[in-house]
Parts: sequence; structure tokens; C-alpha cells
Amino acid sequence: MLIAFAVFGSLPFWITEIGLYHYLGVEILIWCIYELGFNLLLGYAGLPSFGHGAYFGIGAYAFGLTQFNLWPNLWVCLAAAILAATLFGAVVACFISHRRGIYFALMTIAFGQMFFFIASKWTSVTKGEDGLLNIARLPVELGFAAYPIQRNAAFYWFVFACFVVVAVLLWRIVNSPFGKVIQAIKQNELRMSFLGYRVELYKGAAFVLSCAFSGFAGALFAMAQGGAFVQVMNLQWSGVIVLMTLIGGGLVSFWGPVLGTILYFVARDLLGAYTATWLLWFGLMFMLVVMFKPEGLAGLWRDLRRRGATRTNAAKAGAQPSALLALLRAR
Amino acid sequence: MDSLLFLLPHLLNGLALGLLFALIALGFMLIIGVMEVINLAHGSLFALGAYAALALMTPDGGLPPAMVALFQALPLAWRYAAALVLAPLAVAIVGMGLELCLRRTYGRDPLYGLLLTFGAALVIEELIRLAWGPTERFIPMPQGITGGVMLGELIYSKYRMFAALFAIAMIALLWLFLERTPYGAIIKAGAHDSEMVGALGVNLPRLRLFVFGFGSLLAAIAGIVMVPIWGIRPHVGVDAVVPAFVIIVLGGVGSFWGAVIAGLLVGMVVGLTGAFATDWSLISMYMLLILVVTFRARGLLGKKSILEA
Repeated sequence: MLIAFAVFGSLPFWITEIGLYHYLGVEILIWCIYELGFNLLLGYAGLPSFGHGAYFGIGAYAFGLTQFNLWPNLWVCLAAAILAATLFGAVVACFISHRRGIYFALMTIAFGQMFFFIASKWTSVTKGEDGLLNIARLPVELGFAAYPIQRNAAFYWFVFACFVVVAVLLWRIVNSPFGKVIQAIKQNELRMSFLGYRVELYKGAAFVLSCAFSGFAGALFAMAQGGAFVQVMNLQWSGVIVLMTLIGGGLVSFWGPVLGTILYFVARDLLGAYTATWLLWFGLMFMLVVMFKPEGLAGLWRDLRRRGATRTNAAKAGAQPSALLALLRAR
Repeated sequence: MDSLLFLLPHLLNGLALGLLFALIALGFMLIIGVMEVINLAHGSLFALGAYAALALMTPDGGLPPAMVALFQALPLAWRYAAALVLAPLAVAIVGMGLELCLRRTYGRDPLYGLLLTFGAALVIEELIRLAWGPTERFIPMPQGITGGVMLGELIYSKYRMFAALFAIAMIALLWLFLERTPYGAIIKAGAHDSEMVGALGVNLPRLRLFVFGFGSLLAAIAGIVMVPIWGIRPHVGVDAVVPAFVIIVLGGVGSFWGAVIAGLLVGMVVGLTGAFATDWSLISMYMLLILVVTFRARGLLGKKSILEA
């Protein structure tokens, strides 16, 4: 956790040195928030949602609409975005929280697509395909002082602060009793229900929580882009976040999604600079990861560490046991 | 009477669309049954079929010049027939290649198969874009199946009639194949319990390879037939795979007639909402799905299946 904070905290000082730019950092952090929230559902509760872009988009639209029609205050607008995503998530959760596996995935697709089409057709509210434009980056009011965050570098610090809060919060959630219960549900749902847990309530809660984080990330993204657009809600983007979470190793590690997000955006910028078909190479890479290392980058790291650990243990234990170990392994 | 005359073309459109949807969904279902994999690349294989037909039928489709000359010498109707046979076979080979990649995910969380095919869908779509460009393309159709046909007082597109009849013929053939041949019996048994089928001495890897190829073939056929109705774009696959999903869940996983009925139902709903509220025509299908699945968890004719684990 400290490593991640140190890397992102010092990022503004070196990112321009290596030829990248602040906005990339902003994008990565926002998607990290989104992915970390999503991984609560995929990695910890084991529920694959293929329509999560919807809640991200709902957050973005809610942020913009509150800003235009109600009260252009940063905290109010962010709260409205989280609230909207939570509400929609809660309604959807009523329909899907008792489902499992593939049926769960299919229902999330159905709801996600429904929200996507509504957002793209309800032009009087969402401005349809054009997107809701001119969403301002509102100043951060802390009671005693207000900081403008129009510039990317300043905005980065704000997003970084959000990221720290979200990461600490989610870390606490997954290590709380609630977090343990949803992980146990992933392992064996039936057994958990025999133990007296109301399984569908826990699954619904995990879903709603991750929707709330998605809405929050969506609001930040609306500020970053200066508008809310419907593209992030479509099936492909909803799939891409699953892809990012998995390639980084969300199934085995809390920080996996962060790794995956960094990899995705850096690959987009670097490969995208050389070839227009970078998605082809990224897709191929993804296929290889699923085929040979489905635990992703974090899984690779864990295996390397484990291998290192067994080696040092074997060395400590002397020659004979290690020969025995080798024999065992050969069998 | 007037309103009926107004509705009839939309109903017929819905019928034709529904039959083609059912064809896509049946290939999809065969793969789910035997492989226990949700094939997200199904839509891309559908698009690939359409593009393969494009390659066979137009001079600038990307084939070597010698083959182009050979094909262009044939009359259009023959070329169309050849494309309907050869392009699906080519796509079936691609599908078999995909199945070889999928082998590493068998016996693990079904999520991995789904994700692998999602990656494959990205790759195939980008390859199509690379090979044929991102713009919309069209395939010339033979004279016999273009233009209109008079149905009483109504003029109806001859091509849609052809598409509907063709889909009915394919569905009937598929049913005969599954119900009346020993291969069909093996596939159905494989969908029930593939490990047991393997234990009984059937070459399971070969069966899976074959079924995946066969499912891809059906997707490609539907893709080719759909071209004049939808046009072809590299991302047309998403428009095909999502209805296939909806139909499978709606009809019930593993049920042949469930898929056909659900296909028709989805086609009709899309067609009818298209008549009254165009903007809603794509949402209606999801609403139908949510409505049905909320009350009947396994779809209209579904039985308990492996996908619920």
C-alpha cells in the first residue's frame, strides 16, 4: 500500500520527465478507483459483472446534472453522483443478488445494456451521443480555503487524495468481517447459507458498494474530461474493465487492479504511438494471460516470491531434504 | 384492417429477424452445452463469416488475384452459393483454432473461458479492421432474391422472405441432425455430461473441436445471410452476440425449442417496438429478458444446467 501511495504521490514530479503527461496520471488514478471498487465484486465476492460501465456513466451524468440544475458545489455534486449510482445499483441488486455465476453475468449485461441505451436515447437529459458537455472542475472548498483544480497538475492532487481515501476504505472493507463473509461466499455459497448468513443480502451489499465506488469514479472522470459521455457505458468498456482487473491479477491481490490499469493505459499510449491496432496486441496479450497465467501479474509476482521462499527454506534445511524435495517434485 | 396492414410488415420483419437470431443462438447454445463456455467471440465469428463472404464475392475482398479471377468468372448466384458454403467452413476452422486455445481453461472457473473469448473477440475484430478497413461494406446480391414480392396488397422485401425461409430450413436441418443422427445423440449427451461421454469411449477432445467448429459455422451462415439487412461493419458482432445471449437465457439453456421460441419472441418484440417507438426497439429485448427471468429463473423451457454452479 505504501509503495502504491509513494509511486502515485511522487508521480507529478517525474511523469513529465519520462515523456508522459499529468492527464495520463489522472486517468490512471480514476480508473484505479473504479477498478478497485469493481474488484470488490469480481475478486472478493466472485461475482462477474459485465455491465459495470453503467454505474460509472450514471455517476458521471448525475455529477453533471447536479452541477447544472441544482447546486454547483463539488461535495454536493460528488455526493449526488455516489447516491445516484448507489440507488440504481440497489434497484438492480434486488433483481440479481440471488443469482450466481453466469446467470449473474448475463443479468448484469442486460441491465448494463438497458442503461446504456436509455442514456444514448434520452437526449433531453443526457444529450445522447453528443454527451453532456461543459462540466466544470469545481473548486475544492475546505471551509477555510478553496483551491481551484482547473489545471491538470492541481487536479491530479485532488484525484490522488480521493484515491488514497478510496484505497484505505476498501482495504478496511475487505479486511472487515463483511469482507471475510463475501470471500467465504465466493468459496462456497451454499455452506455460508447453511451457516445462517443471508447470502443474497451480502451479495447485494457488495454489488451496491462497488456501484457506489463506480459512481464516484464516474464523477471524477466527468470532471477530468469536462463532460459525461455515453461510450463508457457500453458493453465493450464494461468488458475492458474486467480485462484490466484480471490482467493485473485482481483475483489474487488487492493491488492487482491497479497494476492492470497502469499496464492498460501505458500500453495504450506507448503501443498506440507505434501502431493503430494496439488493441489487437493487447487482446492477444490478454488471451495469453488467461491461457497461461489467469491470476495475472500479481499471481506471477506471488509465485515468484513463493518460489524464492521455498528455495531459501530448502537451502536452510541442508542438502538431503532438498534432494528429497526434488524427488517429491519429480513425482 | 388498415392497422393490420400497417403492422404486418413489421411482424414479418420481426419474424425474419427472430429466425436468424435463433440460428445464431443455436450455435451459441451448442458451444455452451458441450464446452461449458460462454463464447463471447461468437459475434466476431458471425462478422468474420460475413467478411469471408465479402472476400469471395467482390473483386477487392482481399483474396489472391488468381482466386479472384476464378470466382469473378462465375455468375453471381453461383458465387453467392459458393460463399454460403465456403465462408462458413473457413470460419469453422478459425473456431476450431479458438477451441484449441480454450482447452487450457477447461475444468477451471467458467469465467476464464468467458474472458478468453472476450479477448479473442477483440483480436478478431481488430484483425477484421486491419484486413478489410473500418468502413461499412456491402455484398452484391443475385437478381433472384432482390426486389419486392407481392403478398396480397402488400409489397414485401423478397430478400427477407429468402432469409426467413433459409433460416427455417437451417433450423429444420439442425433439428434433424441433432435428433435423428448418432452424431446428434453424442452432442446432446455431451451437453448433458461431457465427462461421462468421454468415459464411454467417445473421443472428447475431438468432439469438442468439432462442436465448436460447427457452432462457428452456424454463426458464420447467419452472418452472411444477415449482411443485406444489417450491412457489415467490424463491430457488427456485438449486435449479434448480445441477442444470442438474451435468447439463450430467455429460452432456457439447453433447450432447442426454447431457443427457437425465444428467438421469435425477441425478433417480434424488436420488430413491433421498432414500429411504434424506434428509439425503444433495442431496449425492449432487455426488458423482456428481465421480465421473464425475474419470474422464471431458468427461462421459458430451461432445465437445471451446469451454468448455475
